[in-house]
Amino acid sequence: MNIQDNYLKNKKNIFFSENKDIQTHREKLINIFENDRFDKKNNESLKNINLKNFIDFNYKYLIPEETSVINNNHENSYSIVSVNGQCSSFKDDKIEITKILDEDYNDFSKNDTIENNDHFVNLNSLFLNSGFKIVIKKNNNIKIRISNIITDDDLTIFQKNNYICEDGSSLNLIEEYENKNNSTSNILNVIKLEKNSQINHFLIQDNSPNHNLIITTHSSCKKDSTYIQKVYNFSEGYVRNFHYSELIEANSEADLQGIFFLKDNNTSNNKTFVKHLAEDCKSNQVYKGILKDRSKATYFSNTHVDQVAQKTEGYQLSKGILLSDNASYFSKPELKIYADDVKCSHGSTIGPIDENAIFYLRSRGMSKIAATKILISSFINEELNSIDNEQMSEIIQKKLVRYLSKVK
Amino acid sequence: MNSETLNTLNSYSKNKYKYGFVTEIDDEKPKKGLNEDTIKFISLKKNEPEWMLDWRLKAYSKWKKMKEPKWANLSFPEIDYQDIYYYSAPKGFEKKPKDLSEVDPKLIETYNKLGIPLEEQKVLAGVAVDVVFDSVSVATTYKGELEKLGIIFCSIGEAIQKHPDLIKKYLGSVIPPGDHSFSALNSAVFTDGSFVYIPESVKCPMELSTYFRINAENTGQFERTLIIADKGSYVSYLEGCTAPKRDDNQLHAANVELIALEDAEIKYSTVQNWYPGDEDGKGGIYNFVTKRGLCAGKNSKISWTQVETGSAITWKYPSCILKGDNSIGEFYSVAITNNFQQADTGTKMTHIGKNTKSKIISKGISLGKSQNTYRGEVSFLRKADKARNYTQCDSLLVGNQCGAHTVPYIDSKNNSAVIEHEASTSKINEDQLYYCRQRGLSHEEAVSLIVNGFCKQVLQELPMEFAVEAQKLVSISLEGSVG
Repeated sequence: MNIQDNYLKNKKNIFFSENKDIQTHREKLINIFENDRFDKKNNESLKNINLKNFIDFNYKYLIPEETSVINNNHENSYSIVSVNGQCSSFKDDKIEITKILDEDYNDFSKNDTIENNDHFVNLNSLFLNSGFKIVIKKNNNIKIRISNIITDDDLTIFQKNNYICEDGSSLNLIEEYENKNNSTSNILNVIKLEKNSQINHFLIQDNSPNHNLIITTHSSCKKDSTYIQKVYNFSEGYVRNFHYSELIEANSEADLQGIFFLKDNNTSNNKTFVKHLAEDCKSNQVYKGILKDRSKATYFSNTHVDQVAQKTEGYQLSKGILLSDNASYFSKPELKIYADDVKCSHGSTIGPIDENAIFYLRSRGMSKIAATKILISSFINEELNSIDNEQMSEIIQKKLVRYLSKVK
Repeated sequence: MNSETLNTLNSYSKNKYKYGFVTEIDDEKPKKGLNEDTIKFISLKKNEPEWMLDWRLKAYSKWKKMKEPKWANLSFPEIDYQDIYYYSAPKGFEKKPKDLSEVDPKLIETYNKLGIPLEEQKVLAGVAVDVVFDSVSVATTYKGELEKLGIIFCSIGEAIQKHPDLIKKYLGSVIPPGDHSFSALNSAVFTDGSFVYIPESVKCPMELSTYFRINAENTGQFERTLIIADKGSYVSYLEGCTAPKRDDNQLHAANVELIALEDAEIKYSTVQNWYPGDEDGKGGIYNFVTKRGLCAGKNSKISWTQVETGSAITWKYPSCILKGDNSIGEFYSVAITNNFQQADTGTKMTHIGKNTKSKIISKGISLGKSQNTYRGEVSFLRKADKARNYTQCDSLLVGNQCGAHTVPYIDSKNNSAVIEHEASTSKINEDQLYYCRQRGLSHEEAVSLIVNGFCKQVLQELPMEFAVEAQKLVSISLEGSVG
């Protein structure tokens, strides 16, 4: 079934189908699909993807029977269970959680930074069927933990979430994706940081082999705000992590980091993009990957420095370890710089585990496997040590041990 | 930034092209435009055998179906291929002069203005020069000495006549005519260029050099260079370019193919200083060059060095295909853009064989309102065990209206191969400037010194003859008054 038919057939189940403006926008998107026909050659975001799964899919969505739960565990700490991408409304003097509304749609979809040719974002806009909006009120310090649960097999979830962190507040956000069924989630997070706010965003991804996760974030930072994102991808199924950050006012900072562990025939596509649109901003993009068996990964990073963005510091680092002859890693660290008073750099390495280091450990009496495991752990140690949440660090250590147990 | 710095920068960006002059020589041209008749005309003029004409026509039919590649970060008006002369040879050059005294004195004068003492070179430098003035080889020196060693160094036209076996075997073997639209265009209409064959175990005793020069208005130059280094041989080849001042854009689409067999080494150096257009971005050369080297045999080595200061548009990716085991590919580049120049240049290293190594050093300097892009691809194929790559690309921004971009593509399919890539972008360090000023250098001298230091890693790779000229060029490119 082509995309247009699919859309028309399921129109009544999709959000905002009655809104005329949104409808015209969606017609435009359909046109883009028709004209482009998912031309892989000219669209790097489609590299290594088995497109058939995503173009020719059976749309299926169930509205959750049980409404999700929001617990105010103890002061300033909330845990949310989002079921099939939906979440019940909640309000107190610190946060407010609602469903997404028509007027939020523009924030999501008519954004220049998220490129027009990102088909997965467009698909998300077209088939939108779930999502929520969280507002952190001024000068609060909040912790939120979200577990994403999908109830049935073969669901297609197109979800949009909106986070707004108001002036002077800070948010510690942990998102967990641990699904064991065969469904597809396509999620777009739009995050707004007002003046002097901070978000620490952790994403833990650990899905079963037949679960596809496509996650896109777009964050925009106003004056003196900081957005830190850390992605830990242990999934056995396909994961796409595309994260865009815009530094729109002075002295803001974006830090996009990720680690991924791939095995078997798995594929992962990653992209980070930071756009410096104001002075004195800093950005950091660091991705590290370990690839085993026949796995494949791509990582695109991009720093764009506008002409007005003087005194910018923008750094990129990409590192990959290939553990097998059949694994492949593609990286494209890009710099686009239009201002002269900047410090920007990128570094990229791909290779095997250092043989000398293995030799050193083996000469101390270690087995080859043990040595390999130690060196893999040390490769990502910096990222693991930087987790200041004990509970989180425990979860991630466990998953790492599980991955390492299969290294031979 | 203080006002003095700004003044210096302004004076740099106003630097005029020093080599802007036109030599008036009668031209003999076919009609404008590209069609089968044009190609037949070129082929006839060059007395080519029929298989060559067929080859050209085949390339032309491929070109007709192709579109220009669009990946580069360049913007320019669409090229009207029907508004260009495809052949221009100074009159009476169909019969070649035997020595320099038979050459048009005006031509000699042109070279003298450029500071290339052709006559002196004959005696002094030990450099054999195969000068291309527009499209026909004018003079070839030191041929005799080279012949003794069995080295063939002649124009490609002559090679087609005299060495058809080599041409048939190697022409288009590294850059197939159907590779992309500019290679197809070149294959269809190439008029001249150089051919070099170094026989087994011969080390070429001198640096071979060609000066290309675009002269006639509206004449695209389509050179074709083919260098073959047989087993165990060595050759160093120099290519340098300057062009007279013009208002119309001139199209240039050269193809350069290098083939290094077992244990052979080729060193190819280029200084490119074609007319870059005036301060308002008017005129200038469109330079679409395809350069590719094939390390066919074991232990072979190909090294590209380039200094790119000219041309309104530079589209150039000298590449190496590292097919033989243990082969080595190197790429050293300095690209300076000023005013409205746009450069999208870099390299492509394809590692196929085991233990192959490549090294990329690229330095980009942007001034005025120019855009300078490094675009490079390093790929390790599945069988490239223990392959190694090191890439470093640095950009320097002078002024806040220019752009510097880095777009590397890194692809590894082998788990014993190691890739390292690093890049940085910054402006001229104020502390360094201050230090130089304090030691009594003028502001301009200081900037020139720092930039020359920034490029040194690349310039030192050039052969002696070129290094001096290249250093001068770097200074001149920056100059308002430096130099």
